Amino acid sequence: MGQVVFIMWRESVEALLVVGILHAWLSNTPEAAGGRRWLWGGVVLGLVLAALLALGIYSAQELLLDWQEQFQTLMVLVAAALIVQMVLWMRAHGRTLKRDLEQDLSVKAAQRNWWGVALLAALAIAREGSEAVVFLYGTLAAAPQEQLPLMGLAAAGGLLLALATFWLLQLGGKVLNWRQFFRITEIMLLFLAAALLVTGVEKMQALEWLPPLVDGLWDSTWLLSDMGRVGGVVAALTGYRAQPSLMTVLCFAGYWAVMWGMMRRRASPGQGRA
Amino acid sequence: MHLAVKALAAHGLAAFLLALAPSAQAADIPTIRVELNDGQINVRRIELPAKQRFRVEVVNKGKTPAEFESLPLGLELVVAPGSTRTRALPGKSPGVYPFYDEFHMETTKGEFVIK
Repeated sequence: MGQVVFIMWRESVEALLVVGILHAWLSNTPEAAGGRRWLWGGVVLGLVLAALLALGIYSAQELLLDWQEQFQTLMVLVAAALIVQMVLWMRAHGRTLKRDLEQDLSVKAAQRNWWGVALLAALAIAREGSEAVVFLYGTLAAAPQEQLPLMGLAAAGGLLLALATFWLLQLGGKVLNWRQFFRITEIMLLFLAAALLVTGVEKMQALEWLPPLVDGLWDSTWLLSDMGRVGGVVAALTGYRAQPSLMTVLCFAGYWAVMWGMMRRRASPGQGRA
Repeated sequence: MHLAVKALAAHGLAAFLLALAPSAQAADIPTIRVELNDGQINVRRIELPAKQRFRVEVVNKGKTPAEFESLPLGLELVVAPGSTRTRALPGKSPGVYPFYDEFHMETTKGEFVIK
């Protein structure tokens, strides 16, 4: 029962962070309110995609299953790139959006960005959502009759926990000053993108598209296992690995070097507003 | 577009896809069979020679779904009840790499031992 709640939350937390933070950002930038419709459009698309992917797993169609790994790899990498693009876009335009829109300069740029918002929400939900769907459907379908109400309750509990996470983010956007909130959520998103990149790079190594260079560069399992409960969540949200390959470490370090350089060049949108 | 060009493009695409799909490589590599059954697992320790490609065949005999996962191997296979999924993986350097069924993580922990 506790297991069901945990897995439901665990499988939805990534998507919730992405959707929740984007929603809070858009809500706090009145000029960007139009983007919220794109965000929710992406959410709906993501749910449909998640159901389709789950159906693919259940139908056990060889064709669909053989390609799932490649598709998942593509999805995580595109999602990571979109998160980075979104963070940079907010830094560059969050502050000047109103002025630009008045001058009719960035209408097209904003339009392009909203497509990114929708796609990012869809990918974030489809990826882990498909696993949540398989897990929930399978668990409910297999539960003995007398356990069904309990299982239903647990699933609802997981969903509530997920909604609370979303609500907390919206509250943070209102309670904290905008600059602080942007700083914190920006860092959370950049870590999440790093985690997605690490997952993508590891999948590419498993597919033999990339060489690992050195397997298991170090082993910090004794400190924090990336396959334990806590370590698993840390790994999913930051890209932490207990036994990374040299390739994974290089990609992770390279990502942060590039991000650090880009962040230094662009001012935060909170400046002058807070 | 001419038919010949179309056919050629389709052929090229098929060849490209075949080159990408790991399951399309039908080489003789060792296959490890993992049977999961609602939180039970048939093997806890899988020994393999270093740098040897291998294939993992995950059979879900239970009534609930399973997710066979090993982070260090980049392996994540969601398996519906009653179905089987197979993945080919590249050879690894000597070491111990953990695995579990994430949907039943407390009772299904095991490890790949590469020598």
